[in-house]
Amino acid sequence: MSEHRIFFRETVERILADALDKADIDAAEERVLPAGLYDALSENGIPLMLVPEDKGGIGATVADAAAILRAAGEAAAPGPILDTMLGQQLLAGSGLELASGLISLVFVDGLDVPEPGAEHWRDATIHAVPWGAAVEKVLVVAGSRLIVTNAADWTVTPERDAAGEPRDTLSARSLPVTVIALADGDAWLRTAAILRAAQCLGAIEWAFRRSVEYTGERKQFGREIGKFQAIQQMLAELAGHLLASAGLVEAAAEAMNPQLIAAARSRLGDAIDATITITHQVHGAMGFSLEYALNSRTRRLMAWRDDFGSTLYWRRLLAREFIHLDREAFWPAVSDAGLATVG
Amino acid sequence: MSVAQLSIELPELPPEAETLRREIRMFIAEEREAGRLPPPRKIGLGFDREMSRRIGARGWIGMTWPKAYGGQERTALERYVVTEELLAAAVPVGAHWVADRQSGPVLLKFGTEVQRRAYLPRIVTGDLTFSIGMSEPESGSDLASLKARAEKVDGGWRINGRKIWTTNAHHAQYMIVLVRTSEATGSRHEGISQLIVDLSLPGVTISPIVSMANEHDFNEVLFEDVVVGEDALIGKEGNGWNQVSAELALERSGPERWLSSFRLVSELVGALGPEAQSSTQEELGRVLSHLLALRQLSMSVASMIQQGKSANMEASIVKDLGTKFEQETVRVVRNIISAEDLTANGREDRLRALLIHAQQYAPAFTIRGGTNEILRGIIAKGIGLR
Repeated sequence: MSEHRIFFRETVERILADALDKADIDAAEERVLPAGLYDALSENGIPLMLVPEDKGGIGATVADAAAILRAAGEAAAPGPILDTMLGQQLLAGSGLELASGLISLVFVDGLDVPEPGAEHWRDATIHAVPWGAAVEKVLVVAGSRLIVTNAADWTVTPERDAAGEPRDTLSARSLPVTVIALADGDAWLRTAAILRAAQCLGAIEWAFRRSVEYTGERKQFGREIGKFQAIQQMLAELAGHLLASAGLVEAAAEAMNPQLIAAARSRLGDAIDATITITHQVHGAMGFSLEYALNSRTRRLMAWRDDFGSTLYWRRLLAREFIHLDREAFWPAVSDAGLATVG
Repeated sequence: MSVAQLSIELPELPPEAETLRREIRMFIAEEREAGRLPPPRKIGLGFDREMSRRIGARGWIGMTWPKAYGGQERTALERYVVTEELLAAAVPVGAHWVADRQSGPVLLKFGTEVQRRAYLPRIVTGDLTFSIGMSEPESGSDLASLKARAEKVDGGWRINGRKIWTTNAHHAQYMIVLVRTSEATGSRHEGISQLIVDLSLPGVTISPIVSMANEHDFNEVLFEDVVVGEDALIGKEGNGWNQVSAELALERSGPERWLSSFRLVSELVGALGPEAQSSTQEELGRVLSHLLALRQLSMSVASMIQQGKSANMEASIVKDLGTKFEQETVRVVRNIISAEDLTANGREDRLRALLIHAQQYAPAFTIRGGTNEILRGIIAKGIGLR
């Protein structure tokens, strides 16, 4: 890991340790953002990480941002951190003014959206908008169009995701908009997808570690449950899911290769499913209470698994890259497509 | 309790590796062109002495070994590229596989100068086949319970015992046999040694064990008062357990642990077109993503080994995940064949034959070279549970 990436990651880990506690995570279910956390992140320039230096940002890479989101996922940090980081980059890249507050980002498909240059969106409804009532800007990416809106102009119907965080329905008539043509909307979706993957990876790592620790604390039949082979086998299996998906997610964030990103999201989907099943099984009934912190990670994994393209979407995409190939052309294509290396 | 941090770094692939990859693909294309590499109707490593000799002539056997013994002094990552490309193309590499992967490295690490000079140069040319004498009828996962023994006699050792599941013993000139050479006083791991045995010696009887896939790969090898010289001992007497542990690590993380059923996927993709149903695309995409994840992991482990780092747990993870993947692939391909009705009325005959063979072969994937349950025990230890 590069020196500045380690610096970013350590900075954010310190902020998370100082400015986020369990009460903050719980409060997110009452639609309260951890204000102290976001202030500290802003003071350190984290929301502007991906914005180029000449536009007032840090100019970090996607892999740097992924390292930070992994730490945020590990800490179960609520709120639109990813959305704001990527949203600011979208605004900067489109020659627009940066937002002074937080941003919600949604990708939509099949909606009737305004043309570039239009000033209003006649009849707009968008769903599952993270923290729709708490942000300053709501950005909608629809294929090759970016629609920039002020959150205050929407009517918000509160909804929530599996983690209990807001995912609101927003609607408006004659909504004031700025519509920009995007060169490659899919590239933005891929970036969002791999950043979400990094966040999931952090939550998996926390849940795995807590489970291993728990099996050393909990005693049944007169011994620590970690001494039982049945428990060992489950956690060994989870270690495999973790290592396999981590390798691919890191590789994909580094190379930003479309096939690797699709593969990372597909592989991660299985790792998430295994994490939820195994960490809860290892915890027995104890992990099922709202009070116990395990669910703050596992419910986020449920909420995030299919964000920015579902697991199945990425699988179909990956398959379509290769499915037309001849039997002897298949391996060379697979092998040339997917590998990230150092140097 | 301290929990081990699970992480793995991206592999360091030398720039020569990609040039090498092109050379291997060219070789494979030439072999196909010449009709020496027909599309297989079976999975598993084929045995073809002439093919091994041609691969040896390219310098692709023992390629990481010192030049003094015929090697090329290339990196573990380059060897990785060679094995990956040859296996993915189903090139029959069985004649040199074991010698290249583990017998040669064992001799290099623990053998005497005389032993190295006697065997390594003939391995790199593809002329020597080795087999592994570890398992016995009563010793599988619990290898340290082995009963084969060698007693010290004038000028050498006399071996008695029975080894099973010895792949290619009927083709091999030599076997490295794991035997008890003295009674264990403390740990059962003491008193075990490795001996190199010429399989043409009197007292060696090799009988086939036909697998449920109707293949004769395995054998039972009986040793009755087989006498070998002093120079048959590899490494130190009584140090066999440590030597074998180091050897087994080499067996666990290579591409052969996740590519065994790859040919089935290639054939399937060859039979499918872009019009495939979305459930087919989803299943195929899932298989591909697991394949790419395993490859990334497996190459990272090769890179760790190259850097001299210990990768015992990581290698066990590759084998556990990889072999389960190989089995699951068979199931997925079978379902896709049904869903797309690919083999009805005699269509895709080779795919059908491969599927049948893969189904019969698949139970071995998660057993050979250490069962997955044993591997998960090693992983559990690595993460701090035992």
